[in-house]
Amino acid sequence: MYIIKNALKSIARSKGRNILIGIIIVVIAISSCIALSIKNAADASAAQGLQQLNVTATISVDRQKLMQAAQGQSQADIRTQMQKYEGLSLTDMQKYAGSKYVKSFNYTLTSSMSKSGTLTPFTTTASSPSSTPAPANSNAFAGNRTGADTFRFSAMGEQGDFSVTGASSEAAMPDFVSGTSQVTSGQIFDFTSADYSCIISSDLATFNSIKIGDKITLANPNTSTEIYWFTVVGIYTNSASTQSTNGPRFSASMDPANHIYTSYNSLKSVTTTSASVATVTTDSTTGLSNTTALREQVSGKYVLPDAASLDSFKADASSMGLDPNYTVTSPDVTTYQHSLIPLKNLSDFASTLLLIVILIGGIILIVFNIFNIRERKFEVGVLTAIGMKKGKVAMQFVVELFVVTFISIIIGTSIGAVASVPTANMLLANQITAQQTQSTQQNQNFGRPQQGGNQGGFPGGFNAIAGNNANVSYVDQINAVMDLSILLQLIGLGILLTLLSSAAGVIFALRYEPLKILANRA
Amino acid sequence: MSVLKLENIGYSYDKKTKVLSDVSYEFEKGKIYAIVGKSGAGKTTLLSLISGLTSPHDGKIYFEDKDIAKIDKYNYRSKFVGVIFQSFNLLPHLNAVENVILSMDVAKMKIKNKREYALDILKKVDLDGEKAKRRILKLSGGEQQRVAIARALSYNPDIILADEPTGNLDGVTSEEVISIFRRLANEEDKCIIIVTHSPEVAKAADAVYELTAI
Repeated sequence: MYIIKNALKSIARSKGRNILIGIIIVVIAISSCIALSIKNAADASAAQGLQQLNVTATISVDRQKLMQAAQGQSQADIRTQMQKYEGLSLTDMQKYAGSKYVKSFNYTLTSSMSKSGTLTPFTTTASSPSSTPAPANSNAFAGNRTGADTFRFSAMGEQGDFSVTGASSEAAMPDFVSGTSQVTSGQIFDFTSADYSCIISSDLATFNSIKIGDKITLANPNTSTEIYWFTVVGIYTNSASTQSTNGPRFSASMDPANHIYTSYNSLKSVTTTSASVATVTTDSTTGLSNTTALREQVSGKYVLPDAASLDSFKADASSMGLDPNYTVTSPDVTTYQHSLIPLKNLSDFASTLLLIVILIGGIILIVFNIFNIRERKFEVGVLTAIGMKKGKVAMQFVVELFVVTFISIIIGTSIGAVASVPTANMLLANQITAQQTQSTQQNQNFGRPQQGGNQGGFPGGFNAIAGNNANVSYVDQINAVMDLSILLQLIGLGILLTLLSSAAGVIFALRYEPLKILANRA
Repeated sequence: MSVLKLENIGYSYDKKTKVLSDVSYEFEKGKIYAIVGKSGAGKTTLLSLISGLTSPHDGKIYFEDKDIAKIDKYNYRSKFVGVIFQSFNLLPHLNAVENVILSMDVAKMKIKNKREYALDILKKVDLDGEKAKRRILKLSGGEQQRVAIARALSYNPDIILADEPTGNLDGVTSEEVISIFRRLANEEDKCIIIVTHSPEVAKAADAVYELTAI
């Protein structure tokens, strides 16, 4: 008990020395508090965001893997090899949807169709781009047809004026789920029926004076005489279309205004009919067969309960027989991880800062304490000469430092708690700016135009093709608030610093022999 | 019966320079002993050996028949031996009474009002209340000597060792200090061992041991 009393008296006696130690520890505590708050908030924000993320996954051919395996082979061999691994059939996709890690499964069928009759694709250029049916053998990369039901989009057909999507459910229409697109007139088609009802964009409706209940005709771009009728049951607006610029496009079907939605069953019925009436020709030179059937692409989306289920689903799909040349990917997780780059950088910076502060602070305190104990050598000599054990003398010094450390940590933590939120967000803003500048600079280096939001008429595509991430929505706010765990970590840090810095002093104190000290003094 | 017994004590500095050789003395309670000798004879060294601040290279020291090499020296110093150093060795940042209380704390004395007790002891060595609250460096040499004596007495040790207790004092003060020792030996049955050059102090002692330089 008297050790604590003596320690407190000693602190009060040596105000200057202890204030100096206190200032050093306050600085360490503020820096550590901010660093720990940032680190914890960044980690929590990442974990929480990932938890709340609506994770979807797709199964696609691992082309990179196939190309690596095909290195050194001829182009024809590579083609043959690639054609073995077309996209999965709906039946296969549905098989993997049975995994216990899949919450729900939705799918779409996409096809490209041309104008027919009075229907004209929406375009801002004077002469509307039009697809003209090409000779059946015009495709350089034609697929071999093995049967109408298994024929998929891997074999290129002619590009039509309209992009037609057949959705299996509401979830398969993410633009409508997110609100980017909205049915403003009429109603959505029945997802289960194959009644050829569809919804079209308001731009297309206005451009062609189409009303609800009107019928539109669409042709097979490979053969203009193959015509299909659809009934317009709804008209939608698309904010992406509104934001898009009037720049030139490669094809009218790339304009969001020319996007037609129908049910999966309706479109499937169309493509099945098209396949049944198609003409198949064989190229005499290459030996590859080609068809005039409508090209179709089926894509399935697995909705997973959380990000953690992604790896489980990968393993499960593999155990269910998924060929290793197919890969399960989640664009949501990838995008989210991308959005966390500034936050992760900040977290790394905080960790480094914490380490530097502890190292430098620790060294300063150790040196300070060694000098302090050397200065108090006589006191050590007298105390041990009157019978105080060296351990207790050392303990008194530790208590002195601990009390100063504790008070300083409380002061430093209070200041740090107030400063951590604005500091964290300011540092995060700097990180985001740095990240965006890097991306922008990269775009400039590649001669890409400066674009915001929609990528100049290539919605959701150009960015991915170009490989930049300028329009990634970064996490720009973190809640770097002090909590009990940070306080405990700081106290732990304080104890560690106290023990570390006083250890050197204690070793000195234990080495002193009272007789020697007093004899030298005398 | 002797409270302290030195048996064939030998000591050398750096294991080369011999200071003490074959010293055998006995000390009893209630008596004043003077250890005299020329400078370098090993008087202060002997005091350090008796107080347990260092250990003899030869021979043994017994405190109440126990070899002090085998007992806790810190405990021995804090409870059974009171040392009055030649240069006092008081803590300058404490005042007189705090220096005394510190010794009592180290000795783990269980007294309700330690401050009152310390003031009483200081009064015994003729240091009044006002001076008891002064910092050590604000006291004269004689007053510091009294504080050092009070500190040595505070935990009621059996043996009091004093190194040149009158060396820095004038004649009158020296006499006062000697009378304090006499009172302690006679009235409180303490064993007082004084290392001194002073013939007056040696004359006041019950027994004189003379050390000769080797």
